[in-house]
Amino acid sequence: MFLAAILLSVWGVFCIYSAAAGASGRGFDFAIRQSVWLIVSILAMLLIMIIGHHKLLEGAYPLFGLMLLFLLLTAIFAPKVNGAQSWLGFGGIRFQPSEFAKVAIILMMSKFLSRYPPLDFKTFMMCLGVIALPVFLVLLQPDAGSALVFLVISFGMLLAAGTPLKYLFGLAGIGASAVPLLIMFALKDYQKNRILVFLDPMRDPLGAGYNVIQSRIAVGSGGFAGKGFMLGTQSKLKFLPEPHTDFIFSVFSEEFGFLGNIILISLFSVLLFRIIMTGINSRDRRSKILTAGVASWLWFQMFESMGMSIGIVPVTGLPLPFLSYGGSSLLAIFMALGLVASVYVEGASSKHGI
Amino acid sequence: MEILDSRLKFFLYGITLSVLILISGLYFFQINQGDKYIRLAHSNRLRIIRFSAPRGEIFDRHGVPLAVNDTTFSIMGYPLDLNTPAKLEHLSKILMRHGIPITVPDLEKTIKQQRLAPYRVMKIVQNLTMTQMVELVADYEFPRELFPLSVWRRTYPAGTTAANVLGYVSEISEAELKARSEMGYTGGDLIGKSGVERSYEEILRGSPGQEALEVDARGRKIRTLDANPAVKGEDLHLTLDMAAQKLAVELLSDYKGALLAMDVNTGEVLALASSPVYDNNPLTWGVSAREWNEIVNNPDRPMLDRAIAGVYPPASTFKAFMSIACLEENVINERSMFTCRGGLKFGSHTFKCWKHSGHGGLNVTGALQHSCDVFFYLAGLKSGIDKLIKWGRKFHLGEPTGIDLPGESGGNIAGPDWKMRRFNAQWAGGDTVNYSIGQGYMLMTPIQIARVYAAIANGGKMVTPHLNKKGYKTPENIGVNPAKLAIVQKGLEYVVSRGTGSRAGRFGIPIAGKTGTAQNSHGADHALFAGYAPVGNPKYVAVAVVEAGRHGSSVAAPLVAQLLAHLLSHED
Repeated sequence: MFLAAILLSVWGVFCIYSAAAGASGRGFDFAIRQSVWLIVSILAMLLIMIIGHHKLLEGAYPLFGLMLLFLLLTAIFAPKVNGAQSWLGFGGIRFQPSEFAKVAIILMMSKFLSRYPPLDFKTFMMCLGVIALPVFLVLLQPDAGSALVFLVISFGMLLAAGTPLKYLFGLAGIGASAVPLLIMFALKDYQKNRILVFLDPMRDPLGAGYNVIQSRIAVGSGGFAGKGFMLGTQSKLKFLPEPHTDFIFSVFSEEFGFLGNIILISLFSVLLFRIIMTGINSRDRRSKILTAGVASWLWFQMFESMGMSIGIVPVTGLPLPFLSYGGSSLLAIFMALGLVASVYVEGASSKHGI
Repeated sequence: MEILDSRLKFFLYGITLSVLILISGLYFFQINQGDKYIRLAHSNRLRIIRFSAPRGEIFDRHGVPLAVNDTTFSIMGYPLDLNTPAKLEHLSKILMRHGIPITVPDLEKTIKQQRLAPYRVMKIVQNLTMTQMVELVADYEFPRELFPLSVWRRTYPAGTTAANVLGYVSEISEAELKARSEMGYTGGDLIGKSGVERSYEEILRGSPGQEALEVDARGRKIRTLDANPAVKGEDLHLTLDMAAQKLAVELLSDYKGALLAMDVNTGEVLALASSPVYDNNPLTWGVSAREWNEIVNNPDRPMLDRAIAGVYPPASTFKAFMSIACLEENVINERSMFTCRGGLKFGSHTFKCWKHSGHGGLNVTGALQHSCDVFFYLAGLKSGIDKLIKWGRKFHLGEPTGIDLPGESGGNIAGPDWKMRRFNAQWAGGDTVNYSIGQGYMLMTPIQIARVYAAIANGGKMVTPHLNKKGYKTPENIGVNPAKLAIVQKGLEYVVSRGTGSRAGRFGIPIAGKTGTAQNSHGADHALFAGYAPVGNPKYVAVAVVEAGRHGSSVAAPLVAQLLAHLLSHED
């Protein structure tokens, strides 16, 4: 598991170097910063392993409250980056509270769902109420991408917690029927555009469709073996927008081709399987639900980010775990892996004990 | 627990399925359709060309053009078409033939500077006229791969006469680009760097156009896919009167300093001259580092707009303000008399009056008329610094006037709190004595002085000085008793009709005003004059500051008077 995560991250640093080299000529700068973040993240993971998931689960409620407070502060004070205010700055270091919120939500829900198993309608609705708070706060920023991740994490955890399937189907049904309403009323113009463009990229080749077309050309032109590291023309000639964050997978695909993608996806699969197996092998209810949350999170961002690069899902601007540039995202993911590792260590030692 | 495990196993199936979907999607795009996309990426490309929008033009109050756009042409091309010495030699030969002296090394240098990628378009030659471009394109040997692109060049017909007001435009710097990351600027765009070009950047810039092109493998245009035309920026009409501005610059040409004129009721600025001057045209077209350094390191600082950013002790022009503050605070009334014996002994120091023989006994109008220092020393001491600061704040001393130009200074209102912060020392009585005649720590810009005199002329309303015709803001009434104001107005009339400012009265119009001579620790005294006209129904206020001009009465007063006389005889 660790090996897969660290391999992915190191590969990510190289991709960021390549992507940012074309976009801004500051590839080295970005790669160095990401490497520093990676080291910090690994240390954070080890720290969390030492603390152990039990202690952190005990503190889940205050952590969740603190996270809500940060999200609120962000919604109120943060400066706008690309139309959304998702950053908080403290003395020169900026971070995205919504990334750490994902960890807090996983802790909170693990504890809550095992204390109140959502087996009847009333507790199910209570669980939904708990989730609604952070979702609402990130929508205020407005950061629809994070809200979506929060929902997917929660849905995965509800599923794992043994919620009766009829409730979950009902929830999914309501979600699906709300989509047209959301498009009509709630979405910002740029969000509507992304969805319309998903349906037909050529409708606006200069504007919103540009990203999808260029990204598809990048991925497609990678072919079987790719163009080689640092040799992608799409990203180097600045055809690709945001190559080192949102469209990192397009850069990766262009340079490493289908072969590289198979290896990349295999690494992700190994990681996700190991996370789930850790849950299955654990004897603790909370730990099982916790691993489901972490897996749902990583899976969704992987699927969404890769899918959007080839235009099979709409553009949301979610980072690809491990590969996209962004310290907050990387740190939060490694913290979550620290939790899973702590569950794993406990499972392994208790087996020896029996 | 069983249900949890079965649900977790279900996750494994879900992940497997999604991975299969991703792999098949990638297979489709990268293997099945890979050739098509490789072709798209390699040969057939989407290009986006950006056209900068023509900037809004700037006119004076009568429609005289102050900033306009000339069309010039650049020759554009791709590195691929210029990659051999033979091609460069050929191009240079053709350029030379049409009288454009560009050698092969010149071309190599330009190309090297801009070369980023083989498919990226470069500017090979710039600043060509329409005639030159037409001749070149008509030459049958002119390489067909190169193409002309029309670009706007900003020109300021008035040049040095209004450079401090208009400012100039130039390529956006990296820092500016970062600060405006969401405003659609890209490298190479022009942006207003100073003057109204900067303060009205948002309305002047317009919005750039874009064209999406399909180009062939060598980057040449096949067809246009989509185009948004550039939208010209909004024109800007200023309150400046070019005839008055020209006169002001000429009057000031032998001196260093500032001369400005403003409408007393609206705050419209009609003339705003600062000397020495600089020419904004070369700055816009691009100057060499050496020329730039010459301008920036010039000890006379031509790019400092002395009218709004030059800070001077207001000297005796401050006595009009002192009179209002002391009358309003009932420290003195119209009949209060003080006796001047040529100086005031305060503590161990004797503060002199400029007239060493003394003025004898006089009241406030007489003190203004003769600019008696001792009268105001005594009035200031009687009032105390706090009341003076209170009135200073009412007149917004120490704050920028809010004129629509960048880089305005707020001067310094000083006072005990300021002195404690700045020097960690107590405010002394002697400081108040100095303060009372506008010397010492008190500093004002010429535009601030003009604003105070406008308020005296218009019955106590603080106008907002502005240059944009649409920039009028309702003046703020600071509540001065009209009877008390009339006393000060009368004093200022006497200054010109029978006092120290008599030289301002020789240009055929009735003026009221005040002279000033500011002590200058770096050299000869600065000469000041602030005045308004016509007496009775004032329309315009004008202020002159002449650095090292020695006496306000002899040097500055005639400048103000001539400018006011011009404005009154050339009214709209």
